[in-house]
Amino acid sequence: MSSKILVIEDELLMLKAVEFRLRKDGYEVQTAADGAIAIQMIESQQFDLIITDIMLPFVGGLEIVSKVKGDPRTKDTPVIMLSAVGLENTVLESFELGADDFITKPFNLSELTIRVRKHIKQNAF
Amino acid sequence: MYSSYSSILEYLKDLFLVRLPYLPSNIRSALIIILFCTIVFIELYLYISVRRVNQNFNKKVKSKWYDQISNLLTEIIIYEDESDTDAIVQHFLPAFKKLPLYRPFIKNMLTVEILNYHSNFTGKTADVLKGLYLSLKLDKQAKKDLKSNHWEKKIKAIREITQLNLRSEAETILKFTDEDNAQLRMEAQAAFVKLSDDNPFRFLDRARERILDWHQLVLFEVITKTKNIQIPSFAKWLSSKNDTVVMLCLKLVNHYQQWEAIPDMVLLFKHANLKIRAKAIENIGKMEAEMVEESLFEMYYNQPLEIKLKVIEAIGRIASGTYLDFLKSRAYSEEYKIRMAGLRAIKLHGEVGLSLLSDIYRESALQNRSMVEHVLDDRIKN
Repeated sequence: MSSKILVIEDELLMLKAVEFRLRKDGYEVQTAADGAIAIQMIESQQFDLIITDIMLPFVGGLEIVSKVKGDPRTKDTPVIMLSAVGLENTVLESFELGADDFITKPFNLSELTIRVRKHIKQNAF
Repeated sequence: MYSSYSSILEYLKDLFLVRLPYLPSNIRSALIIILFCTIVFIELYLYISVRRVNQNFNKKVKSKWYDQISNLLTEIIIYEDESDTDAIVQHFLPAFKKLPLYRPFIKNMLTVEILNYHSNFTGKTADVLKGLYLSLKLDKQAKKDLKSNHWEKKIKAIREITQLNLRSEAETILKFTDEDNAQLRMEAQAAFVKLSDDNPFRFLDRARERILDWHQLVLFEVITKTKNIQIPSFAKWLSSKNDTVVMLCLKLVNHYQQWEAIPDMVLLFKHANLKIRAKAIENIGKMEAEMVEESLFEMYYNQPLEIKLKVIEAIGRIASGTYLDFLKSRAYSEEYKIRMAGLRAIKLHGEVGLSLLSDIYRESALQNRSMVEHVLDDRIKN
């Protein structure tokens, strides 16, 4: 069975690109264009990995990490932060909250897929 | 009365064309105003309706083309990674050429979308997008806009050219680096640093206009973060007649710790601009240039307060110990700021400094003692 990934990104262009690329790599991909919808999806479904932007409408990416890592049901789900904000403090805060990886835009799509593969593999053990 | 007419139109015709001249003047005026307002209302209604229909139509057309362009670009994203960049471009080119690029809004939409994708991705995806942009000759518009009379168009073109790293345009952009318009100047300078192959700082030679403080921050960020940029010795511009160029170069000298600039910075100790004088002294301190300590000491007494403070701070940072007596004497100055700066400078001398601070503490009156305690408290940052 293929791994299920949730991609949260408000920039539709980017959301579509990441979604298509991950689908092509054989993953089952679900998408959310804002933080509030994402939270509902996380509460109602189980994901093998979450990719989230930091700046999101309604609920920010940092809050999403905090929620995922604070819930015993989802705390082991790897979270990759995706953001144009590469500020040291934001990166540190993300890791502090439990994010597993941080990718700064612009990024290489191949790099993203490699990291996704790595985290899903690590989490499977 | 109305029943004698077969239709409203006939009634109105009779009213305005036959009876109007015989009616009292106030009624006549009122009727003319009503007629005028009615005509205006009908015209406005028609205008708004036509406009709305037109807008909806355009929206639908744009949406259709947007989806098509977006789908084409997404196909590039998911295309096989292993292929050569040129091969991928050639593979997709026919599909993009089928788009009616002779229509300006479609051409503009495609350019904007390519730039959007390009700004989010690196690696092969970005290379393919750039290849596509060039193959479709979308750069023509940006090059044309560089010659526009509108500064906003020029700025947009400069940003586009910089994002796609079209280095051949560096020389054209150099012309705008000393423009009267501050925004255009700033964009052009930052772009030139990124695009120029041989000498990215050539614009400093010809800079007559001020480089604003905010602009200096932006340029500093661009210079220090652009990869593969040839960093020259910024000492060359420390004698510039443009004070803002000197200021920017002082910041860069400090960032890159360019020791060869020290003699030129010493010359700036006599600069008429106090900000430049202060920055040069601060740099000397940060670079711990011990050989300049004597010059700092010699200049001290003829300087205004703000420069004196910088000199004391610099001697503290150098911390050779040669001028500890001088610093000690500053700890008894009548000026509070100098006393504080002196004590802090002594503390920077390590063990010797701490011992001297203990002596000062013992010898001092109550007020100086509290200042020594304050300086010695490591929890308090300067």
